[in-house]
Amino acid sequence: MHKIWNFHGGVHPVENKTQSNQLPIIVMPIPAQLTMHLSQHIGKVAKAIVETGDYVLKGQLIACAQGFVSANVHAPSSGHVSAIADRTLPHQSALSGPCIVIDTDGKDQWATLSPTANPESLSKPDLLNLIQAAGITGMGGAGFPSAVKLQPKINIHTLVINGAECEPYITADDRLMREYAAQIIAGIQLVQQLIDQPHCLIGIEDNKPEAVAALTYAADQHTNIEVCVIPTKYPSGGEKQLIEILTGKQVPHGGIPADIGMVCQNVGTVKAIFDAIILGRPLINRITTVTGKAAANAGNYEVLLGTQVADILAFAKVDLAKTSRLVMGGPMMGFTIQDTHTPIIKSSNCILAAADLELAPVADHHACIRCGQCEVACPAQLLPQQLFWFAKAEEFEKAQDHNLSDCIECGACAWVCPSQIPLVQYYRYAKGRLKTINSEAQLAEVSRLRFENREQRLVDEKLAKEEKRKARALTAAAAQAAKRAANPSAEDPVAAALARVNLKKQAKTNAATQKSTEDEYKELKTAAAITRTKLNKTRKALTNAQAQDHEQAQALQQTVIALTTKAAAAAAELHAYEAKLGLDPEKEKTLQLAVAKANGVVRKLEKSLATAENLQQLEAEIFNAKAIHEAAGLALEEHQANAKEKPTSTQES
Amino acid sequence: MALVNISSPHHHGLSKTSRLMGWVLLATLPGLAVQSYFYGYGTLINLLWASVLSLGFEAIVLGLRRRPIMPYLTDGSALVTAFLLALALPPFSPWWLTLVAVLFSIVFAKHLYGGLGSNPFNPAMVGYALCLIAFPVSMTQWAGTEATLSFSQQWQWFWLEYIDGGIDAWTRATPLDLMRHTKGLTLNEVASTNPQLGLGLIANMWVNVAYLLGGLFLLAIRAFTWHAPVAMLAGLGLCAGLFHMGEPDLYPSASKHLLTGATMLSAFFIVTDPVSGATSRKGKLVFGAGVGILVFIIRSYGSYPDAFAFAILLMNLAAPLIDTYTKPKAYGHQPKKPHSQGDK
Repeated sequence: MHKIWNFHGGVHPVENKTQSNQLPIIVMPIPAQLTMHLSQHIGKVAKAIVETGDYVLKGQLIACAQGFVSANVHAPSSGHVSAIADRTLPHQSALSGPCIVIDTDGKDQWATLSPTANPESLSKPDLLNLIQAAGITGMGGAGFPSAVKLQPKINIHTLVINGAECEPYITADDRLMREYAAQIIAGIQLVQQLIDQPHCLIGIEDNKPEAVAALTYAADQHTNIEVCVIPTKYPSGGEKQLIEILTGKQVPHGGIPADIGMVCQNVGTVKAIFDAIILGRPLINRITTVTGKAAANAGNYEVLLGTQVADILAFAKVDLAKTSRLVMGGPMMGFTIQDTHTPIIKSSNCILAAADLELAPVADHHACIRCGQCEVACPAQLLPQQLFWFAKAEEFEKAQDHNLSDCIECGACAWVCPSQIPLVQYYRYAKGRLKTINSEAQLAEVSRLRFENREQRLVDEKLAKEEKRKARALTAAAAQAAKRAANPSAEDPVAAALARVNLKKQAKTNAATQKSTEDEYKELKTAAAITRTKLNKTRKALTNAQAQDHEQAQALQQTVIALTTKAAAAAAELHAYEAKLGLDPEKEKTLQLAVAKANGVVRKLEKSLATAENLQQLEAEIFNAKAIHEAAGLALEEHQANAKEKPTSTQES
Repeated sequence: MALVNISSPHHHGLSKTSRLMGWVLLATLPGLAVQSYFYGYGTLINLLWASVLSLGFEAIVLGLRRRPIMPYLTDGSALVTAFLLALALPPFSPWWLTLVAVLFSIVFAKHLYGGLGSNPFNPAMVGYALCLIAFPVSMTQWAGTEATLSFSQQWQWFWLEYIDGGIDAWTRATPLDLMRHTKGLTLNEVASTNPQLGLGLIANMWVNVAYLLGGLFLLAIRAFTWHAPVAMLAGLGLCAGLFHMGEPDLYPSASKHLLTGATMLSAFFIVTDPVSGATSRKGKLVFGAGVGILVFIIRSYGSYPDAFAFAILLMNLAAPLIDTYTKPKAYGHQPKKPHSQGDK
């Protein structure tokens, strides 16, 4: 007899199991329509590989796992794919998710299967591949892909098989163990073969003596498989609790059972592994308990995945008029559904159609008096009363500090609470908020880093520009020096400098009389402008006068002609001067425009960067636009520099 | 029928605040009976009066606070406060004394701090301590055990504070008083010169035994955990025992400390108040032990006859701090190796 430990807390709700565990499992007929969710597991949504209108066979792969943590989905029966669309998810939120809807043809025609006659010959990767291909996920509740769980990184010494089924009402595993004991043991052996023959402990609560007897009989010949009868106490079927009961060890905070050399699988999961490897059948059906006072034919049903709840309820003769609450899962951790078209998925172990007053009514809750009963009941050894106050006061950090994340949401605290406070709701809220806060903090951190990188880049660019400019100046100086050196008549640099200084002095003293080129240019420009305006004015006066007075018009005409020639002369003089200076106002204008335009593009892209999702592409675009902007800026600078250099060089030479 | 959408769990145990309070009230009855047997009708009249006042004040304040009256009135918490006060007040309490105590307990100590569940101090003890400081004479008029007042006499005193021959003819010093104010005598000398002490001790003992029984009943039905009361009794008993061993002439024995005054009433009905006490089981141990030690210190060196109100209020003050340092280790937080400390 294996030693049994106890876990802290726990409660003893009324079991309510006899309503559904008296009769053998009944196979439910094929429903007219099957709704296969592409996300029946924890992890990435599977990708549909069939199209609307396709004919699919029973067991045919219809959606592929995406990524490491994901699972395949197979057609549970033959028929035509009538839609690939969003349907209600079996979740408290009643949100929708992508589904493949199959209109069954009733032929139930199997795809070609490849059963294995001698599994001993299979290698570990073969076994893993078969489990992965069959789309097997944890069938006890969470729905974690089994293939991922079965490739632990460290050596596993204990395989824990969960047959506790501690939730009231549910008897699916109970019946499964009674009727498929041999298959379960064979499945366990396959798992043992896969993970280096660990010792196997099967935990079953003592309220299931028939299941214990069946498995004990089936495991009789196997020395490394032990059936352990554990006291009935909720939540003994929680993975962490069961491990503590059977081994006395606790899974470390934030860790997984594999960290202490253990792997835990539900009995339903090992049965599915048996089906997948020995029979070659993928996971397309499961045992689901239908129970509750509103169900006339309460019992366990073998249903195809994707069967809508409404079909099952009709088959089990559930009186919907009498049902006030429809719970998927058990009364302690299950969730209510309103849409009876919600389909069964791989982890749906129970549908509880509760009549009025069968379950706890939605009571007004009283104030918490810190009686501490929740603390006594908490299997995670938390202080639920404190967590409640922290959640209520939105002191999420304190809640975190009190290990809110270790809460398994079993509901034992709320079950014992004399003030009937919906404690689990408070914890879910606080957990959700903490998640948001953490992800926001992460986002802020990413933004901060991006901002800092950008600042750094701008500084670097500026420095690089400065460097470039300096280099250019140096090369220009070198070129000049070389020019001078090449010219034999060149004076020595000191004399040249002196001469330059003298020249400058002279220019300064002559400033009053001798106008600088720039001033001259300006003057010319103004003169040209003045003549142009004068001409325009006179022209206007002329047109006015032509309509009234001929004499004045003639005089004005004379003036216009004179002004036209004057303006042309001024313009010519200006152009000549510009040509002499090497200026090109037209070109400068176009260049300036190009710079402004490039700058605009950069700004716009940067703005969209703040909201955009395709960051990499945008960043690339911005980089590109910046390069254009830079080039335009350089061209303009070059042009201006040329314009400035020319007059000085003429002056110097 | 419309399907409801509510969060799990959908099941609930039988535990209810009102039921819990009902058990507490029931458990006080043996003590009440023994107390009335030894000290007359005073406690019973007190109890009725305090209950009426308590429910009245509770209803009025709930109304003022715009809270649903009936659900809160029927949770039984106001009645528990009334019972505890009535049992702690002397049997010769006039009507106004009880009124002041209840008023302060319910209106100030309870509702002004946010009502049930939010009060940092035990309401009954706040009311009691206030009266002890404000009306020391009335609060120390304890009845004798030799002869008790008739119902009509008791009623007259209760309403009019008048009694033929004056109340002093009926009041007696409590054993704790006698043992503390020894006037230079040893305890044995006090006992031999004052026959009252022996009588008082016997009456006190039976009252305490009755409360102990009530308390054990509550423990048996798991109305609270054993931690706080056991720690309190251990703290008081240990201190008393040590000092008695050192100076038996000055310090009464541990058994005398445990079975006089309000020891058992406090241990099982007041120290166990979950609202104002420490919350974790480890915290409850610290809280209880603290109360026990403070009771011994105040009884031995303080100037008030009994010490529970002050000891409990002082520990109420310390409860949040105790909570901070006595957080239990959650599942999976046990250090892996002896030398690593794990998360703190």
